[in-house]
Amino acid sequence: MIQFIVRRLVISVPVVLGVVFIVFLLARIVPGDPCVAALGEHANPKSCAAFNSRIGLDLPIFPFIVKHGSSYNLSSDPSSITNNQFVRFLGDLAHGDLGTSVKHGRPVTTLIFERLPTTVELTFYALLFAIAAGIGLGIIAASRHNSKRDLFTMMIANLGVSIPVFVLGLMLAFAFGVLLKDTPFSLPPSGRLSAGLRFQTIAEAWGAASLSGPPRAVLDFLSNMYTVNGLITGQWGLLGDALRHLVLPAIALGTIPMAIIARMTRSSLLEVLGREYIRTAEAKGLRPRVVLFRHALRNALLPVVTVIGLSIASLLSGAVLTETIFGLTGIGLTVFESISARDYVVIQGLALLVALIYVIVNLITDISYGLLDPRVRLTQLS
Amino acid sequence: MTRSPSWSLRLATLFAGAVIVVAACGPAASTSPSQSASAAPPTTGPTVVAEAEQYPADGGVTCASGGNPGSYDGEDYSGKVQLIEAPDPYTVIFHLCSTDTAFLEKMAFSVFAIYDADWLEANVPNGNALTTMNGTGPYKLDQWQPGAEIDYSAFDGYWGDKAVAPNAVLRWGAESAQRLNELRSGNIEGMTLVGANDFEAVASDSSLQLASPPAGTNLNTFYLGMNHDKAPWDNAKVREAVSYAINKQRLVDNFYPPGSEVAKYFTPCALDFACEGDPFPDFNLQKAKDLLTEAGYPNGFETKLQYRPAVRGYLPQPPQIAEDLQAQLADVGIKVTLDEQDNAQYIVNSNTGALDGLFMLGWGADYPEITNFMDYHFGAGCTAAFGACYPDVASQLTTGGSTTDQATRTAAYAAANSALVQDVPMVPLAHGAFANAYVAGVSVAQASPLSNELLFRMSVPSGGDTLRFMQNSEPGSVFCADETDGEALRACEQVLEGLYGFEINGSAAVPVLATSCDPNADGTVWTCHLRQGVKFQDGADFTAHDVIVSMALQWDAAHPLHKGKSSQFEYWAGLWGDYLHASQQPAAPE
Repeated sequence: MIQFIVRRLVISVPVVLGVVFIVFLLARIVPGDPCVAALGEHANPKSCAAFNSRIGLDLPIFPFIVKHGSSYNLSSDPSSITNNQFVRFLGDLAHGDLGTSVKHGRPVTTLIFERLPTTVELTFYALLFAIAAGIGLGIIAASRHNSKRDLFTMMIANLGVSIPVFVLGLMLAFAFGVLLKDTPFSLPPSGRLSAGLRFQTIAEAWGAASLSGPPRAVLDFLSNMYTVNGLITGQWGLLGDALRHLVLPAIALGTIPMAIIARMTRSSLLEVLGREYIRTAEAKGLRPRVVLFRHALRNALLPVVTVIGLSIASLLSGAVLTETIFGLTGIGLTVFESISARDYVVIQGLALLVALIYVIVNLITDISYGLLDPRVRLTQLS
Repeated sequence: MTRSPSWSLRLATLFAGAVIVVAACGPAASTSPSQSASAAPPTTGPTVVAEAEQYPADGGVTCASGGNPGSYDGEDYSGKVQLIEAPDPYTVIFHLCSTDTAFLEKMAFSVFAIYDADWLEANVPNGNALTTMNGTGPYKLDQWQPGAEIDYSAFDGYWGDKAVAPNAVLRWGAESAQRLNELRSGNIEGMTLVGANDFEAVASDSSLQLASPPAGTNLNTFYLGMNHDKAPWDNAKVREAVSYAINKQRLVDNFYPPGSEVAKYFTPCALDFACEGDPFPDFNLQKAKDLLTEAGYPNGFETKLQYRPAVRGYLPQPPQIAEDLQAQLADVGIKVTLDEQDNAQYIVNSNTGALDGLFMLGWGADYPEITNFMDYHFGAGCTAAFGACYPDVASQLTTGGSTTDQATRTAAYAAANSALVQDVPMVPLAHGAFANAYVAGVSVAQASPLSNELLFRMSVPSGGDTLRFMQNSEPGSVFCADETDGEALRACEQVLEGLYGFEINGSAAVPVLATSCDPNADGTVWTCHLRQGVKFQDGADFTAHDVIVSMALQWDAAHPLHKGKSSQFEYWAGLWGDYLHASQQPAAPE
């Protein structure tokens, strides 16, 4: 298994580098001037020249390739082999420096530490919702095949997969935030916490406010996941408020994966339920519930796990819309803002981050195959 | 079946590894020559002699005059400020190179708020100034939760009327629908920029109130530009024909929110001298056709209509307005192809004169004075968007901007406006309105024409103690000397104050930290008398030294505190012309 994991990690290196290269290239090909985006509409050629010089945008993009305005020219300057934007970017990257955001004026790593917890928390709860509701609906549909219950659950699944995230998000926000206002079902339509709610960070709650360096960064990262913070430090008000704010965005983001998981669970379970060993189990007089959950479901889950792994990818891309609609300043919203502002440094840093997440998620998915089905493990090792 | 990487994959892996090793062994590329240069110790600084000081200490700025460039410390200098002097702790004298009729309006701009000098020295070099504030204002910053909100509480030692609500919260949401949902759900008390389609819904909702700026104070202009260095715009009759061909009222009625106005002049009429002289002509289809015939285009011609999709207060629905203009121009035979361009690239193309068709652009006020609208576009150093400057307009603007004599200014701007109607570098079309929304019961609900709503004046209905207000986006930083983003400026305005500020819901400059700033006869020397007994929120006294340091750090690119989020201090050059030690601009980032 370790050999398998190492091999997968090694293979991932060119994948991640390829992503970095493509994103680096795409970010520079799209029309638009980062200077104007950063300095505003009153930017002039003089201030733009100084700006470009300061952040290295006056260098060749690659060896011998120079960008002038919106056109690309060949350069004969041999120094461009080592002194160009791509080499500089890789050099900084190798030193663990993702650069400093033009828009925010802060290191990209700081932005990631600040904003990734929002996306992680949102994705986690959206996935939780998708798995719980999806598998539940799939089981109901499969166990009552061709019944009205089957039809109804599949209608929900089809509806869920058909509604775009932004439509569902706006509808949920309006329904629970405005129409159901002043009822027990009222939920906040945006934001992560109620305005003005004060809380302690984990470092403060543990009396470690003077802590610095990586341990402090880790604590702050965890603190920014408000439900985790509330649980660890016993700030139940924070936990409850954060959960209330997460309900609608998690449902909006998790509905499409939920629908896909439900359909996959249903079809996979139906296939397994038709196999001979299930008939044998039933013939032995086992209760239907035992047959379904103990003998059929585990074998039916293998393709579902694949779908769940792939769903994480769609959740990350869906987070861009969800975070925008619900005003959650996570990685998705940051990507959107950075593309609008031509903030190359942030785009590159976040693309690298997302690529790494994909690689890790795919790796975990593959490993989980082995855990669920020993035959897969044996094949891999052979 | 085994899973082993193919040869190509192995080679790719080896290559990737080599790239990483090579990159890691190389130097970290992070310091540009300009960064190194500006790390040198400053050559000038305020010299405190007893109670008097001045900046620059040597007073050696030479102003440009008679076609000769100005200079300071061996470098060219083209700025308006010559010297800032503090003869005593409560007087500051600004010596200018030429008359500045907008001095008070510029001073009221929150970018020029006053900081405590000691606090700046402690917090700018380490970057803390980007996220913390220490002002003299009614609220103090308690906490900035990144990505969530900024929390304020009332400053007990405030010199003026205390904040009505003891606490305030500033939140953000990019979509107006989202902000409106928050307002309707009772999670906030106020929001900026109601969507154009929601004006009626808000106005008719008894639980909400719509707040619009006072009538006539839409301080923006949407116009249709033409570059007279390019054909067929080099023909004055063609440009004039366009000015008759557009039914402006139709645009305003169909695409702008209530309260918007047809533009008859380039500058909104709420500003002094804006509407002297001849107005642009009314819509007249036949006159437009006749002029095109006289210009040699009896059957019209083909061209482009260039625009960008960015929504602005002056342009709420860009594609729809472009399509309507396309239809209107077709009625006189001008067949336009729509050319939608990338937002940022469009501005570059405009500034470099590269827009060769009809182009849609606009302007929002930085400060409420006619020079802000006219000089950038048509003054002596005009933008290249319309081609070479029009000398008949530029000369009048120079006259109007270099005197404090009201009669002379009136005559000059009347002549400039009339010349614009003759030359037609553009056709002003509309002044867009906007509105904010509040829950019913909020008092002094504000919709500032300059977007500087002051939360401390507003009350919370039903006895609440926290006023929650939602704007468009999160501030980039709260070191607003180096910010250009209105969302950041609003966050700062709750805490920081300038010598002057703007009246609530208005655009008139009113004294704040100064009791008055008085000009000499020709408007080149402004003496500001400072309010005494004012304290910063950290307990420090407010004195003239704070004013000098707050201004100098922006003015002098070699100043050790000339360091912010971008270190550009863009508005200084935009409003006062130039930096000292401009070769060291921008200063080194962290």
